[in-house]
Amino acid sequence: MSLVNRLFGAKESSASTARDRLNIMLSHERASNSFPFLDDMRNDIIEVIKKYTSVENVSIRTEQNQNIDILEVEITLGK
Amino acid sequence: MGQVITVTSGKGGVGKSTSLANIAVALADLGQKVIAIDFDIGLRNLDMILGLENRIVYDVVDVMEGNCKLPQAIINDKHSKNLSFLPASQSKDKNILDKAKVNSLVETLKLDYDVILLDSPAGIEGGFEHAIAFADQALVISTPDISSVRDADRVIGIIDAKSLKAQQGDEVTKHIIINRIKPEMVERGDMLSTDDVLKILALPLIGVVPEDEKVISSTNTGEPVVRDEKALSGEAYRRIAQRIMGQEVEFLDLKAKKGIFKRMFA
Repeated sequence: MSLVNRLFGAKESSASTARDRLNIMLSHERASNSFPFLDDMRNDIIEVIKKYTSVENVSIRTEQNQNIDILEVEITLGK
Repeated sequence: MGQVITVTSGKGGVGKSTSLANIAVALADLGQKVIAIDFDIGLRNLDMILGLENRIVYDVVDVMEGNCKLPQAIINDKHSKNLSFLPASQSKDKNILDKAKVNSLVETLKLDYDVILLDSPAGIEGGFEHAIAFADQALVISTPDISSVRDADRVIGIIDAKSLKAQQGDEVTKHIIINRIKPEMVERGDMLSTDDVLKILALPLIGVVPEDEKVISSTNTGEPVVRDEKALSGEAYRRIAQRIMGQEVEFLDLKAKKGIFKRMFA
């Protein structure tokens, strides 16, 4: 920031606001984008389980840490 | 064998076709045999930017549907014998392209040209998928504004998922072009800087193009700005072409023009 801006008390720059908003939004969006195959995989898993037993629901959760991606698959079997 | 370079952005109106036209002309001036293909079916624009709209008889859809032979649809540039152009169809359904036919077209052109530049439509649907499927390299264009950066990020995330090269275990080379940057706004802190955008998108930069009124006037006349020796934006595009050819060229030093008052107190 130049001396002039400082002297006249310019407000915080809009670019830094844009930066922060983008970083927050993109970290969120990237997490949900990183497994584009999720729906297809879920259907495939259901098909496989159906071969052997009855399945009620398959839910897949994703979790991301700094270094690893975790897929948590929960299969609810029918009666 | 020619290499296939796709110019894409996600968001519309950031200067995809304009950039592609200028890079195509600059590459041709460097001695490369170049063909520019407009994949924006139904909304063609590359023809007017290149100033070749009056020469169109057949288009890329005619080629794929077998209404004409490929050489009949290819248009030669007015100035450069190294540059050719294949227009998009204006009237037909945008869903008409078919992956196998796009592939065979691209493979055929690879034999005759050094560089095949594909102009992807905005969005991430069919047209984009066809334009990226056979790319060796992608140039992702973003302006320094929030929506454009966000869409560019999204496109970068799905390029590999849609590309044949990635399916074969290879990777599409990806570079960023930052378009329409205004140095005085960046210095005031009112526009994302080149560094800001690069940090967010996390890909190497291949060019920074300043906002330039000459781009508009050159589009008006159908003479890409890169042919204007004095235009700063033209120089930016010339340098991008050199970098595509593997040369190391400095990036333009984009600084705001300062008034006396500012210069004294800055």
